[in-house]
Amino acid sequence: MSGMRTTICEGWLLDLYADSEDGVALWLIEASPTSDLFQAQAQSSGSAHVAPIGVRLRLRQAFPVTFYAAGPGLRLHALWRWLQNQPVSVRLAAVERRDLFVASPLRLLSIQVSNPADQECLFTQVEQSFPDLTYYDADIPLALRHAAVYGTFPLARLRLTIRELNEIETGQAAGDVLDIQVLDSPWELDPELPPLRILSIEPDSDPRRSEPTHLHIRCERRSYRLALEPARPLLVNLAAILRQCDPDLIQSAWGDTWLLPKLLELSEHWRLPLPLNRDSKKEVLRKRAHSYFSYGQVVHRGQQVHLFGRWHIDTFNAMMFHDYALEGILESARVTSSPVQETARRSPGSGISAMQMVTALRSQVLVPWHKQQVEEPKSALELIHADQGGLVYQPTVGLHSDVAEIDFISMYPGIMVRFNISPETVGANGGVAKRLELAARVPALDLWVEQETPGLIPRTLQPLLEKRIVLKQRIAELPAWDPRRRLYKARASAHKWLLVTCFGYLGYKNARFGRIEAHESVTAYSREALLRAKEAAEDLGFRVLHMYVDGLWVQKPGCRCVEDMQPLLNEIVDRTRLPIALEGIYRWVAFLPSRVNPKAPVANRYFGVFQDGSIKVRGIEARRGDAPLFVSEVQMHMLDLLAQARDASSLKVELPQVMAFLRQQCRLLRLGRLPLEKLIVTQKLSRELALYRTPSPAARAAMQLEALGKTMSPGQHVRFIYTLGEPGVYAWDLPEPLDPRRVDLARYRTLLLRAASAVLGPLGIKEDQLLAYEKSSFAGALETSLGIDRQFW
Amino acid sequence: MGRTLPSMTQAFLQEQESFVRFRRALRRSDQHALDDLFTAAQQHLAAAAYTSHALPFEVLLLSMLLEEHKEVMRLRRALEDLSHEWYADDDL
Repeated sequence: MSGMRTTICEGWLLDLYADSEDGVALWLIEASPTSDLFQAQAQSSGSAHVAPIGVRLRLRQAFPVTFYAAGPGLRLHALWRWLQNQPVSVRLAAVERRDLFVASPLRLLSIQVSNPADQECLFTQVEQSFPDLTYYDADIPLALRHAAVYGTFPLARLRLTIRELNEIETGQAAGDVLDIQVLDSPWELDPELPPLRILSIEPDSDPRRSEPTHLHIRCERRSYRLALEPARPLLVNLAAILRQCDPDLIQSAWGDTWLLPKLLELSEHWRLPLPLNRDSKKEVLRKRAHSYFSYGQVVHRGQQVHLFGRWHIDTFNAMMFHDYALEGILESARVTSSPVQETARRSPGSGISAMQMVTALRSQVLVPWHKQQVEEPKSALELIHADQGGLVYQPTVGLHSDVAEIDFISMYPGIMVRFNISPETVGANGGVAKRLELAARVPALDLWVEQETPGLIPRTLQPLLEKRIVLKQRIAELPAWDPRRRLYKARASAHKWLLVTCFGYLGYKNARFGRIEAHESVTAYSREALLRAKEAAEDLGFRVLHMYVDGLWVQKPGCRCVEDMQPLLNEIVDRTRLPIALEGIYRWVAFLPSRVNPKAPVANRYFGVFQDGSIKVRGIEARRGDAPLFVSEVQMHMLDLLAQARDASSLKVELPQVMAFLRQQCRLLRLGRLPLEKLIVTQKLSRELALYRTPSPAARAAMQLEALGKTMSPGQHVRFIYTLGEPGVYAWDLPEPLDPRRVDLARYRTLLLRAASAVLGPLGIKEDQLLAYEKSSFAGALETSLGIDRQFW
Repeated sequence: MGRTLPSMTQAFLQEQESFVRFRRALRRSDQHALDDLFTAAQQHLAAAAYTSHALPFEVLLLSMLLEEHKEVMRLRRALEDLSHEWYADDDL
C-alpha cells in the first residue's frame, strides 16, 4: 500500500498550528523534493504547473500536549475521576516536577491531551470545575511547546521523515510527520532563508480619511489595480490573483483594521469564497481591538486578522514594523520561537516571556498559569519601581568638543548573564543561596546570588546576548556600502528590543518568572558598574561630562581618536567585567538645559556630530513623534548644516547659512506655501474623552471625530492641525478638507522658533534674539543680532 | 533601594513644595536666589539617590553647599588670575 511509504524531505517551516482533525498542521516550504507523490498532491489541489522546487506542503503530526494540576490529594483524585468521564481523550499520571520558586519537587497530576486543539477548551472546563487547584503549563502557545520538544522555530530548516498518505487518507495533508530534525538554529548569524512569495495589497487612500476606491496589488513583479466597486468582479479577480500567486505573506496597509475585514464581509455577502487562507479547512482568525496600560502609557491595538498556511502582516498594525521591518520581525520570531503573525503584532516583552517558557519547558521547570496575559495594568507604585534604579546624572550643559561616548552593551541583560541573576538564584542571606561560599553578594544590598548552577534567565538570555554582541562587531567592521549591514542592523535592533524588555519582566510581579529582588540586584550591579567606570575615567585623567544608566560621556584634552580611548576601555572592562563599546567620538556635542528652567540641565536632551559626520539627537523635536513634520525637518536640516563644521570652533562659519535657511522657512510658513500635511500634529489620547476636565488639543480633535460617529479609544493617536479661533484644532481625519486660511500660523511659528532655539541655544543665541532676527527684514540683521554675542565667538 | 519610598526626584519636588510659603514671603530678588539653590541641589540628584540617606533634605542641603563652594573656588581662582595679571602689568 502506497500509504505506508516513508520519505525524507527538507524545507523550511512556514506555519504550525493546532487542527481539530490532524493534531498539528505543519506547512513546509520544500527545498528538495524526493517524492513525486507531493507533486501529485500539488496537482490535485488545482495548480496546473508546479515547479518542483518551492512546493508548499501541508503536513500533519500527532503531538499530544500536557498540563499539570497541583493541590490536595483528594481534590486531585476528584479531578482524575472527572477527567475520565470527559469525551476528550486524555492520558493521566501522577508525576513529580519542579516549581522554580519551591525548593522540593511537587507531586502533580499530569494531564496529557492527545489533540492539542482540545487542550484550551478542556483546561477552561477543568479550571471552572476545580478553581481551587494550582495549574502549570496550562496556557503555553502550541508553537512554544513544539519548540521545546523539537527545537523548531519559524523558517527553521527541517529534515522530515514522512509517511506519505494516499488520496483517500489525505484530505489536505500530504503526509504524517514521523520525525523532525532541525538543521539550523536561531543563533545562526547568516541563516539560509527561503525566498518568500510576498503579495502586497493596499487601498489607494487612507481609509481613516476617505473611502478608498481602488486596491493596489503587487506580487512577483506583476501589479494590479482593482476597483472596490462593484464587489463581484473585485472578489473574482482577487481570488484568481491569490490562487495564481499563492503568496506566503500578504503584506497589507490597514489590512487588520479595515481591508481584510471588509473583504471578508463582501465575500460573505456575495457568497464568493476568497482564498485568503492557504488552508481551506480553516476559518480566518479575527481578534478584536483593545486598549491596555504598558509602562505607564495607554496602548491601543487595532483589530487583527490572522491567516492559516500563510502570514498576514499589516504594516500599520505591526508594532515595530517601522523600526525594523520584515527582517526584524522574522529575526524576532525565530529567536523567540513564536508565530510570525503574532510577533509582528505584539510588543517585544511577550517575546522574552516566550523564550523563558521554552527554556523552562526544556529543563522540565513548571510554567505557572496566569489568568491574564502578560500585559496588564500596573499600579502607580509598580511604575515607580520600574522607573527607578539606574543612575541618571545631570550633564554639564553646553557645547563640548572631542567627547567620547562609551556604552555598556545591553547592560542589564549583560549583568543578569554575567552575575547569574535569576528569580531562583537571588535571595537573602540563608535563603535561596544557602551555601554562602558559592554565592556572590550584590553590591550595597543584603542580597546574595547563587553562583553554582546557571539560572533560568541567564540561560535564556546568553545566546541572544552573544548573538547581539557578534552582530554589533560585524556591523562595526563592515564597510558602509555592504548590503549585509542593513540586514544585521534590523536583526540587532530586534534583539535590542527583546533585551531591553527582559529587565522589566524580572521585577514584574505578574510575570511568570518575576521577582523583585532579582530586579533590585540588577540595578544595584548597574550602579556599581557605572561608578566604577566613572572612577576609571577620572583615574586616567578624563573629565566625565554625563552619565546615563548604561553610558558615559568623557573628555580629555588631546584624546580624539579610537586609539586614545583604548586604555580607558580596557580599564573599564577590567574593573566591571561587563562588555562595553565605544559608541563613537563626537566632534562636538551639546547638552541642553530644561525648557522650563534654562539653568537646570536635563538628562536626555542633547545632540552632537560624530567624527564620521553622523548626527545623534535625543529629546528634541527632530526625534519626537508629536512634532509637526515641518518643524522636525527644519530642525534636522539646521543640524545637518551645522554638522558640516569640522569642530566646535568652526561652527560659527556655518551659522549664516543656518540663519538664512531658518528665515526662508519662516517666510514659506508665513506665505502659506507649506503643504498642510507637514503641519499635522500627532498626539495620543491618554484617557476616555468623557474623563478630560480640560480637554487637550488631541482630545478636542478626537471630539470632532466622535461627533461624526467614529469611536476614539485611549491610546489611539489623533492627528490634527492648529487653527485660529475655537476650538483651536481641526482633526486631520475629518472628511471635509481644511481651509488653509484657518491655520494658526503664529502658533506654528512659535513651535518652529522654539525648535530652532534648541539647536542654536548652545551657540549662544537665545529665543528672543531669534524672534527679533526673524522679524527684522534687512540684510544686516544677522550681524546686528549676533553682534550682541560677539564675545562668544 | 527602598522600593516603597518615593524616588529622589519626587523627594526633591516634595521638599521644594514644602517651602512654598517661605518662598512666597521672600522678596522677589531673594526668591530668585532661593530658586538657584534648589537648581543647584537638583544637579546632584543621582548622587543623592545613590546615597539612600534616610533624610533626603540633608543631602539636598549638602548639594546646595557643594555648588556654593564650587562657586567660591571659581571666584577665588578668577581673583587670583586677575591679581596675577595686575602684578604682571605693574612689572611692565
